[in-house]
Amino acid sequence: MSMTTATGARTARPRASARLADAVSRWAFMAPSAIILAAMLAYPIFYTVQISFARFDLMTFSAVEWVGWDNYRHVLDDYRFWSSLRVTAIYLAFALPLQIVLGFGIAFLINADWRGRGTVRALFIIPMVVAPVVAGGIWRMILDPLWGIVNWLIGLAGFGPLDWFGDPNLAMAAIVIIDTWRWTPFVVLIATAALLALPRDIFEAAEIDGANWWSMLWSITLPLLVPIIAATFVVRWLGAVKMFDIALAATYGGPGGATNVINLFIYEEAFRSLRFAESAAMAVIVLILTMILTGIFLVGSRALEQRN
Amino acid sequence: MTAAALPPLRRRSRLGHRVRIAAGLFACVVFLFPVFWMVLSSFKDQRDIFTMPPTLFFTPTLETYIGYMQRADINRRLINTIIVATGSGLLSIAAGAMAGYALARIRLRGAGTIGVIILLSRGVPPIALAVPMFLVARSLGVTDKHITLILAYCTFLIPYVMWLMRGFFLALPRELEESAMIDGCSRFGAFFKIIVPISLPGLLSTLIFSMILAWEELLFALVLTNRHASTIPVSIAGIAGDTVNGANWGALTAVGTITVIPVVIFALLVQKWLIQGLADGATKG
Repeated sequence: MSMTTATGARTARPRASARLADAVSRWAFMAPSAIILAAMLAYPIFYTVQISFARFDLMTFSAVEWVGWDNYRHVLDDYRFWSSLRVTAIYLAFALPLQIVLGFGIAFLINADWRGRGTVRALFIIPMVVAPVVAGGIWRMILDPLWGIVNWLIGLAGFGPLDWFGDPNLAMAAIVIIDTWRWTPFVVLIATAALLALPRDIFEAAEIDGANWWSMLWSITLPLLVPIIAATFVVRWLGAVKMFDIALAATYGGPGGATNVINLFIYEEAFRSLRFAESAAMAVIVLILTMILTGIFLVGSRALEQRN
Repeated sequence: MTAAALPPLRRRSRLGHRVRIAAGLFACVVFLFPVFWMVLSSFKDQRDIFTMPPTLFFTPTLETYIGYMQRADINRRLINTIIVATGSGLLSIAAGAMAGYALARIRLRGAGTIGVIILLSRGVPPIALAVPMFLVARSLGVTDKHITLILAYCTFLIPYVMWLMRGFFLALPRELEESAMIDGCSRFGAFFKIIVPISLPGLLSTLIFSMILAWEELLFALVLTNRHASTIPVSIAGIAGDTVNGANWGALTAVGTITVIPVVIFALLVQKWLIQGLADGATKG
């Protein structure tokens, strides 16, 4: 009796310490990332929220007094904030669907079975790794109203020169074109992989049943691709809401704020006008909006995935 | 009857096939043209850049390159970009791969929550981090230092690496580390001696993607550096946004080419992995 408890105690002690060592070794894998992300991601977000409710003193360079919702009230009264949100929404509404449609369309074209297929697909990587700020810069040269090659080509076709960066609508079109140039190849590569993974036998069966390609596209290909299209949309959305570099290099928000996307506007307010408290309030609003929309898109794309 | 009906159908579909290939090639040419035009223009002198109609044939010159490579700020920024891209790439692959392994293989309480947080963190607008990072860095006196920028880049690189490597580790057979741990390996031993060596191709390509992302980053570099630790994208933004003299196309295309060419070479080297990683990132993410 006493012997069994003694052996029980002898084995229990090393087991407890082993369990602790085990827990430590489990969490040790997570620790470096968790520490860096807590310091560089979680803390800054917390600090942004804190500043957004404070008056920021430029002399001491710190948040000095609690002002409640004042900063938020100022921001929500600022028509430039609303116009910047509208500009961002317009950009997203044009760029994202355009990139998805073009990307899947081009993927279909370059998936034609021939010798050069692999090379063509590899070449589509190139625009994708051009730094966005370089993309904005070179397109500014290409679209230049006087010396740009695009206006020369338009002229050859008999149309008048377009003032790409002087006209508000054309400037927005330019931003959408540049962003689409930079990101469509990304969609093309995802779509290519998705198209190659489609089950061949369904198409063969449909062909034997005499289906034409249009009905195959509508009733087989698209339904099968819906989950991938939704996932691609979410990934592109997460990238596109960060739009900053291209707008900065190509138009700097102009003319007259027509392409002043929200990140550029907040950047200007913070680092040019030194209105840190208001910028923090705007950043918090944008953060919450982004999180809500991302959540909705994620739930939506999961639902589309499970439906199939 | 049917035999007679078949050939025209096949001929039409072969024509369709040709049209499809041609259209695909055309799309490829359109998408590559801006890069081609940038590289071409970087070898032009001012006279050949500002000419109508635009020229394809001209006497190439290295003048812009020589002029710009001699400028101390461009050289220093190139070196800074290499330091920061390498540093943040290595740090994030080390931390991120371990965390990805933890998410894939080690049962941690709250791992599901961590996964959701990582996914949501990809939606955080960088400006919401840049403002407080600048204020904190300024009060700590660590603005304009490489390490600040390296740590700042970890905010988007670590979640990215974690997610990619999690998928990669999930695809490995479980028996690998189970047999190692039965043989007396610790969890660390199993990871570093068994898992890391066989994952080297995946780790290396993830490292390259991360370095490319860091190489191209602009916002944090603009905000957190000014003279000493500034990077090449800041130079390009400066050249493109020069409202006083107008943009200098020669400088823009030359510095742009220097920035883009190494990345293109690396990306083409790992293109198979890149495509695979993208497809996985989108579908399993």
